[in-house]
Amino acid sequence: MAQYASTHKNRCIRSATLIVLVAAALSWPVTAEAYVGPGAGFAVLGSFAVIFVTMLLAGVSLLAWPFRMLWRMIRRRTRSAPLVKRLIVVGFDGQEPRITERLMAEGKMPHFSRLAEMGGYSRLRSTFPSITPVAWSSFTTGTNPGKHNIFDFLDRDPRTYLPRLSSTEIGSVDRVLKIGKLRIPLAKPSIRNLRKSKPWWTILGEHNIWSTIIRVPITFPPDKFYGAQLGAMCIPDLLGTQGTFMLFTTRPGGESFQEGGLRFELNANGSRDTFEGTIDGPENTFFEGNPPMTVPLKLELDRSGKRGLVTVNGETADLEQGVLSDWVKLTFKAIAGMKVTGITRMMITEMDDHVSLYLSPINIEPEKPVMPISHPGYYCSYLEKKLGAYATLGLAEDTWALNEKVTDDRTFMTQTSDIDCEREEMLFTALDTLRKGALVTVFDATDRVNHMFWRYTEDGHPAAEGVDDPEYGDAIEQQYLRNDEIVGKVLKRLGDGDVLWVMSDHGCTSFRRGVNLNAWLMDNGFLFLKEGADGSEQWLQSVDWSRTRAYAVGLVGMFLNIEGRESQGIVKKGAEVEVLKAELKAGLDGLMDDEKDVVAINEAFDTDILYRGPYKGNAPDLLIGYNHGYRISWDCASGVVAGAVFEDNTKAWSGDHIVDPRLVPGVFLANHPIDKDDPAIIDLAPTALTFFGLTPPAHMEGRPIVDGKPLKGPPRET
Amino acid sequence: MFGYTKVKLETSLVDRISKFSDIAGYSSPEEFITHALEKELAQLEDAGAEEEIKKRLQGLGYMS
Repeated sequence: MAQYASTHKNRCIRSATLIVLVAAALSWPVTAEAYVGPGAGFAVLGSFAVIFVTMLLAGVSLLAWPFRMLWRMIRRRTRSAPLVKRLIVVGFDGQEPRITERLMAEGKMPHFSRLAEMGGYSRLRSTFPSITPVAWSSFTTGTNPGKHNIFDFLDRDPRTYLPRLSSTEIGSVDRVLKIGKLRIPLAKPSIRNLRKSKPWWTILGEHNIWSTIIRVPITFPPDKFYGAQLGAMCIPDLLGTQGTFMLFTTRPGGESFQEGGLRFELNANGSRDTFEGTIDGPENTFFEGNPPMTVPLKLELDRSGKRGLVTVNGETADLEQGVLSDWVKLTFKAIAGMKVTGITRMMITEMDDHVSLYLSPINIEPEKPVMPISHPGYYCSYLEKKLGAYATLGLAEDTWALNEKVTDDRTFMTQTSDIDCEREEMLFTALDTLRKGALVTVFDATDRVNHMFWRYTEDGHPAAEGVDDPEYGDAIEQQYLRNDEIVGKVLKRLGDGDVLWVMSDHGCTSFRRGVNLNAWLMDNGFLFLKEGADGSEQWLQSVDWSRTRAYAVGLVGMFLNIEGRESQGIVKKGAEVEVLKAELKAGLDGLMDDEKDVVAINEAFDTDILYRGPYKGNAPDLLIGYNHGYRISWDCASGVVAGAVFEDNTKAWSGDHIVDPRLVPGVFLANHPIDKDDPAIIDLAPTALTFFGLTPPAHMEGRPIVDGKPLKGPPRET
Repeated sequence: MFGYTKVKLETSLVDRISKFSDIAGYSSPEEFITHALEKELAQLEDAGAEEEIKKRLQGLGYMS
């Protein structure tokens, strides 16, 4: 993308040169030999006008030149000379240090080892909590969550106690023109990134330093700065969710998915091998009641060849059973002249007694996106033209289809690897054109593979029961080796003055047992249910708020039901809050899972002590630091109170990092010495600014991990 | 969708905001002002529709 800037600059220089040359040539006196009539006279006068204006502009430009140079010099003086030419950051979300260190020691990650020899390797302290949106927001801003306002994937609305996404707010349009059943919106819905403070690339941009930022989490809607950015987490799918797969099936209804997917009927169309269905797309806000926009789907099977033809929007895709298609475009018509386009990948999962067709979540199409997924707006289209269609969904790998056993390990790995390859192409497209400035690319595959395949890495994981010799038993190790290959390719492209960072935001550990905090709160007299309720309803709907003092919402936090803050709060601010926190800590610190005779919770952290900054009031009151093997249970995450406090986790999602952050640091490697014993992810933003000769602003809390002196040693492979 | 508009504030107020924005932990006076206004608005605005909120969370891998 840097070539946009350089190309544009070169074009301007060429245009200016051409204008001056043409103007000079035209103003040179020549003998007119042709007929000169009135029309030609006007033309000559017009030409003189053009020449006059051109010369005037050239003169003004020349006169202004000293002032422009002076302004640039003043701007430059506000920073020291940059220590680097390019800062290249390759992020592998969730890369675990214990696995990385073992594979490096075994000689299986030679490029990581080489990078460590060139500069250094260290574990990287994550944030409290150690989860992607929080940690990458601290990477982005150099601040603690109290200053960037992201404390979890989820926040809760104190008016309703309902969870909501913590990072993005998509508004609705209140002003509409009603014509019969038609609704014409008179404004666009607002889309806000709720991450606060200022990204370090915005600060670089304020000093005319270019950055390309690819898929760094919590960049939706994208930042506006001098550079280019492709957004990531939490870009929704076309339905407005965080990823809803679809299954078209002839199987009878009643077998509903727990979460994440939609089931549709696949109807036989007069033959054993021809079926029809309807894809429900996004809501059509142009009509009363917001009915879904739909597209008919037709499936024709070739049972003997184990293939099928899927026809949508007049286009036909030839599918082999059990093999994911390429991206298929889906176009939904809203009203005449208005359409919405998404992309999906399809797979026939069965064609025996029953027939089923899987559709991945419908991603926003990057060529003409219906939402702002990049900055500038055309950057996503540029990448699409260069690379073809690519995943745009925030959490693009379909973990839920695997959890629900709609897809299998092989399909998940295919999908994940393909997205990883898309990302690699984006990285090298940007790297090969960046002459000066910063480039950050985050790869998600490591985190997703950790989550879904951890069950195969340890004996007796409840999610791997009955699986003796899994085909993807070494999926995690293979992913780390692939990361090593990517680093090797980047190392080959380093030049003088280039700095390379390879990093992860947190690690990963086992998720064998789930903890239902709300069940624990109820058992211990902190939470009460409404009369007659059994606690099985989701989203804490059965909680009696008039008696409840504490509740858990989100993935890592616990809130007190505080009077004046929560709509039905009963705990008084001040001493009562402190006494309650102490009571809760006394119960939660070192909480035992008696069935397994293991500590489940190491510590409940008081966020009043952890965080500083203007947004700390939005944080949960306590942060739960789970031990290895434990995490919030699936039921608790969806607000179900009923059931046991501890339960086995049998889902494929079998590894996690929403635990005590001290247990899951990230990794950090650089081709320069690391002048700090215990580097943290929060230190990297001020370090990046230091590399470009800028003094980190006062609100940043991390401290540079370099001393600000010119770098020594070989910056690239020798 | 995006966009900014100008609002006139007393110079002395902006001076005070600028003086304290760093101390309060904001990255700029604009962020300080925005946060103050958002907090006030949150007291007045209605909560979103329950179904819409649930739908937006659907598919988040960490939840069931």
